[in-house]
Amino acid sequence: MSDWQPPRGPRIIPEEEAPAPMPEPPPSAGPKVIIEEDRPAPRLDFQWEQAVVPVAPTRPSVRWSGIGRAIGGLALLGGGLAALDAANFVADQFARGAMQGWATLGVVAGGVALLGSGLWREVRGLATIRAVDRARAAFARGDLAVAKAEALRWAASVQEAAPLQPAIRDARSVEELAALLQPTLATLEARAAAMGRTAAMQSFAMTAISPSPGLDVLVFAWRGVRLVRQVASLHGLRPGLAGTVALLRRTLLDAATVAATDVAVDAAARALLSNRLLEQFAGEAAAGAVAARRMLRLAKVAAEACRILPPG
Amino acid sequence: MSGLLDPFGLLRDAAYGAERLGRSLIGQDRIRLAVTGLTRAGKTVFLTSLLANLLAAGRGRRTLPALEEVAGGRLRVVRPVPAGLEGLPRFDVAAHLAALAADPPAWPARTEDLSTLELELELDRQSVLAGLLGTRTVTLELLDYPGEWLLDLPMLAEDYAQWASATLARMRRGPRAEASAEFLAFIESLPPGAPAEESLVRRGAALYRDSLRACRDRLGFRFLQPGRLLNPGPRGETPLMWFFPLPQDARGGLATLVAERHAAYVETQRREFFEPYFRRFERQAVLVDVLGALHAGKEAFEDTAEALAAIANALRYGGGWLDRLTGVGVSRVGFVATKADHVPARQRDALAALLGHLVAAPQGRATHAGVTTSVHALASIRCTEDDVATLEGRPVAAVRGVLLSNRRSAKVYPGEIPLRPPEPGFWAHGFFEMPEFQPPRLDAAGGAGVPHLGLDTLLAALIGDVL
Repeated sequence: MSDWQPPRGPRIIPEEEAPAPMPEPPPSAGPKVIIEEDRPAPRLDFQWEQAVVPVAPTRPSVRWSGIGRAIGGLALLGGGLAALDAANFVADQFARGAMQGWATLGVVAGGVALLGSGLWREVRGLATIRAVDRARAAFARGDLAVAKAEALRWAASVQEAAPLQPAIRDARSVEELAALLQPTLATLEARAAAMGRTAAMQSFAMTAISPSPGLDVLVFAWRGVRLVRQVASLHGLRPGLAGTVALLRRTLLDAATVAATDVAVDAAARALLSNRLLEQFAGEAAAGAVAARRMLRLAKVAAEACRILPPG
Repeated sequence: MSGLLDPFGLLRDAAYGAERLGRSLIGQDRIRLAVTGLTRAGKTVFLTSLLANLLAAGRGRRTLPALEEVAGGRLRVVRPVPAGLEGLPRFDVAAHLAALAADPPAWPARTEDLSTLELELELDRQSVLAGLLGTRTVTLELLDYPGEWLLDLPMLAEDYAQWASATLARMRRGPRAEASAEFLAFIESLPPGAPAEESLVRRGAALYRDSLRACRDRLGFRFLQPGRLLNPGPRGETPLMWFFPLPQDARGGLATLVAERHAAYVETQRREFFEPYFRRFERQAVLVDVLGALHAGKEAFEDTAEALAAIANALRYGGGWLDRLTGVGVSRVGFVATKADHVPARQRDALAALLGHLVAAPQGRATHAGVTTSVHALASIRCTEDDVATLEGRPVAAVRGVLLSNRRSAKVYPGEIPLRPPEPGFWAHGFFEMPEFQPPRLDAAGGAGVPHLGLDTLLAALIGDVL
């Protein structure tokens, strides 16, 4: 076992000098820099670009949250017990007589088929919303193949974009593809804004004539949901209930920030007018104006949520 | 107690906490990552690497495997948040990358002003209801600033007399006394009750600034106040910075003027720098150039530890009842030894262990406040590869890189990295300045990020829980 210890002080040793043992200052002399190499060396290359190339994406793990488990349990109980109940009932009816049995089976099968088709439409509606996310992600990461496929799917579902399909197929870069889609998207946004103005007029009028603030809220909510669905169908999406909820969620944050300014505007309008009659009138008018402005904003954020190109 | 003294600050904290909570509930988390580090700790390069690698990860590149693992493959897109109405310059990651990739390459110059950038990470939800709820986002707020300014933070809690007496005590200690000899002689020669004569103040401030510069540049010291005298920022030096420490018994117009300027300076720094940017943050990366401090000698090493402890004492880590009430506080802190590529792989654990000892005081304070802490050794941009050198006929682990100054390939034996603060005999080899290496070959557009060591592990420890 050798008692040799590496020197404690740092030092620089030119490469070519290293292998051959040669007189070195003793470690106690401290660190020093010795550079003798004459030729400039190329920069280090770690082949980083090759080292980080994307591999097959890992399948994201799914976690069953508390609410998810509860909903799953309820669905299993409701669906499973109903199915068992229905099967037993059909069997009982067959025991009573063939005609009763076939009639009951027909009723059950018809009901299940309608239920299934409804659920299938919901899932498809939700899938179209997810397709928007897929397209945006592809544009953001510069994945031309996926972006092109999503753009083609979108162009097939939007009447205004149908003539673009050959050009989309020939696009050579993501930037070119984005430039191709931009004018059509601008047209769709203009139409969404027009829909927003119509909804704004209607909610202003309804707020002015409605007898109670509670009814205002209901009317506004119904008109808002309808507006979101109209804007979505403009962009080729046919959201069912689940799809509408997903779309509404996306608009929630923007709507929340608008609400904060609404409160301030409303308070200011009320504070400025001290006359009771004026206050009453202006208060209602301000509420109507706020509702109208919310509709305009809702149309804008809904259109942004449905765009297949990333915003900005 | 600061909340009780400042009710408006408390209200702002409560609004801030409520906003963060609301955002978290609707899946729009917002996290302010405070990157704190003394001057030359590598903050700008760290931010450049962090941004470039996160943006590349958002494009599907496997630049941050540890972060990817904790994100469970759910990271979909990373994009810079478009500029809004900010009054601060934006951190120019593209310009920094272009300079690093250029031929000849250039490391970022000394940071002289604040700059910010926000990144938005879009993620799939983990819940089975993900399809219904859509994606969620995490916005990372980042800030770059001159490291010298951070040392003004401990000044907020001191009045002029306390600051002057502590500063003069440090200046008269060890090698600082020699670097500050001219300034110390100047204040000794001042007559009792010296008047507030402009030329006298200017001369004192200039001598004080020169002694601070000598301590920073020649001796590798970091605990130097006020920070703006060393790095005044884009507006240059203003009369507010023309103050210096005087002995306790100094009286007269000069003593009154420098004390007034000290108070005004501290108030300005509090209002313009610390309140907006360091009062509230959720995660913190404390960058320390451990190797630089180790090679600069015993006094510089101890000075770095003292500076880090002073900064940590001045920061709010939460944990108090007011912090719990307002929902404000830091939840994770990572202590990071930067430039870890300057030592071979087998010595990096020692580097992290040594940092652990160096930051024992701040780490203890953060842990006491309920903060999760971790210690890392990291190279924001890896510039060397491991190699073996022969010293006195014996093989020793070394690193090999291309020197920035003359583009020659060289092996560096960085010395033995002690696992704990070194014993007196260690310092016998004296001052050593680690040479600057050229960055490796990089893609100027940053499409694939930049090579690094340990950045992914740090990010996983700091933000992994919100992904």
